[in-house]
Amino acid sequence: MEEPLDTWFKREVLSHEEILMRFLARVWPHRDELADIRQEAYARVYEAARKSRPQSPKAFLFTTARHLMADRVRRERIVSIRAGGDTDFLNVLVDEISPEQRVSANEELVRLARAFDRLSAKCREVVWLRRVKELTQKEVAERLGLSEKTVEKHLRTGARLLAHYTRTNALIPRTKPESGEQDDDESGYEHGTHARN
Amino acid sequence: MSTERTQEIEDLASEWLIRRDSGVWTAHDQVRLEEWLAASTLHRVAYLRLELAWEEAARLKALGAGIREDLPPPRRQWNLTPFFDAPDHADGVPDHEEASSSTAQVAELNAEPSSGVPDVGGVGGREAKSRRRSQIGVFAVAASLLLVLGAGAYFWLVSGGEHYVTPVGGVVSFTLKDDSKVTLNTDTEIRVDLTARERNVDLKRGEAFFEVAKDPQRPFVVSAGGKRVIAVGTQFSVRRDAQDLEVVVTEGKVRVEDAGETLLTPGAIAHAGDAGVLVQRKTVPEAQERLSWRTGVLMFRDQTLGEVVAEFNRYNERKIVIADPKVTDLRIEGNFRATNVDAFVRLLGSGFPVRARVEGDRVLLTSN
Repeated sequence: MEEPLDTWFKREVLSHEEILMRFLARVWPHRDELADIRQEAYARVYEAARKSRPQSPKAFLFTTARHLMADRVRRERIVSIRAGGDTDFLNVLVDEISPEQRVSANEELVRLARAFDRLSAKCREVVWLRRVKELTQKEVAERLGLSEKTVEKHLRTGARLLAHYTRTNALIPRTKPESGEQDDDESGYEHGTHARN
Repeated sequence: MSTERTQEIEDLASEWLIRRDSGVWTAHDQVRLEEWLAASTLHRVAYLRLELAWEEAARLKALGAGIREDLPPPRRQWNLTPFFDAPDHADGVPDHEEASSSTAQVAELNAEPSSGVPDVGGVGGREAKSRRRSQIGVFAVAASLLLVLGAGAYFWLVSGGEHYVTPVGGVVSFTLKDDSKVTLNTDTEIRVDLTARERNVDLKRGEAFFEVAKDPQRPFVVSAGGKRVIAVGTQFSVRRDAQDLEVVVTEGKVRVEDAGETLLTPGAIAHAGDAGVLVQRKTVPEAQERLSWRTGVLMFRDQTLGEVVAEFNRYNERKIVIADPKVTDLRIEGNFRATNVDAFVRLLGSGFPVRARVEGDRVLLTSN
């Protein structure tokens, strides 16, 4: 029995996000498009895997991302950073950027702790009560004197920012939660990024 | 595809994710979610990505072990295990977070502390120390005071004692006020109460190693599960599994009191359960091997895979599960880093007819 595609996709594809983003940041000049390319590559890999799961998901993901960027260059939707629009610049070996590193469970925990520390103070509390203390949203709201709506908003922001911060270097802009006092970033970690956003 | 579109999809995905997670979720909601996911693969991958991050966020529990307070500890004051290898930012990309940081987030547990409080090295430990001094006055008022050490255990003061707690995977050493040294293993909780007549340690769970400062006037007593382990000046460890104890003595003499009394000498490994105390006589180096966890290493000498796996699982949130009884009795020998499940499993796969498969938070072992 084959495992569900979603489970496979999380483990074999989404787990490469950090190195994928590092690769994209290196070869693609338009930082605000990195997340678009990433998501598009994910979607293509997912669709291909529906028919048949690739033998080497990581290589397939990177190849897909390269093709997407080459397409963008060809369609002249971007100004090529090299004269003549050649796409050689895309042919950076993945392993040049980051040799494969096995990340231990502990390192993942450190990364998670760091990501969590970058949430705003309120968001941190809400995520903690919900995810660690396993309070219901209602209980979290009562405990912190917030409306349930606000709690939900913090949780949504928390999920989005954790997805970003655990996998992506601080220098790459994230997709921004749209409204509200989302990421007040009081710790001031991310000045550079915000300036570019 | 525009950036706006990516953000919009991510925003909607987060709404679905959190609403599904809220507990207020009907069959109708499920149908609508499935429709939304089916409408575009971009929707689906955005959703899966957030779902994965959200699942991973539950692992914060590992860092929350031992935190009694509801709210998270202050930023950068995490209970990170001391046997971390280098921080994971040794890549070519500059990291502002690290650069702007004056506090080492991951401190190595190396310096031998000398004062009366746990010292886990680094700025965090010193801050905790001075904070503690300045708050002793407050202590009389506050019934309980939680102090968080930079990178090691948590401890707090309650009237008549101090609590020390380590998370899963954590090991921390510190010195008590009587100059006795204590090393706590993974997932351990003790309460220390030093009085003029007796030095009391209540081992609530886990395992601890004690290097007891000599003081004939004040016996050093570790109590756990209704039993008492008593030393005058010596080195020994006590490990608690529910009501059962394992006591390892590497120096001096130790007395175990349950229904009766048993005297242990160096090299003794004693198991105290309901049926009494069973003592194995080993050499002192063999007994010390049993305590290799103090340096983050697990040593196995001809033990079954079943035993080895049980030991690994004490140190890691990610549990190894033997899914095939055929492999349980394989004999294992070797030294392993307690928190490096991956390395252990890899080695197993290369040297034994064992296949490892990752399934969520578990690693399943089957025969090949």
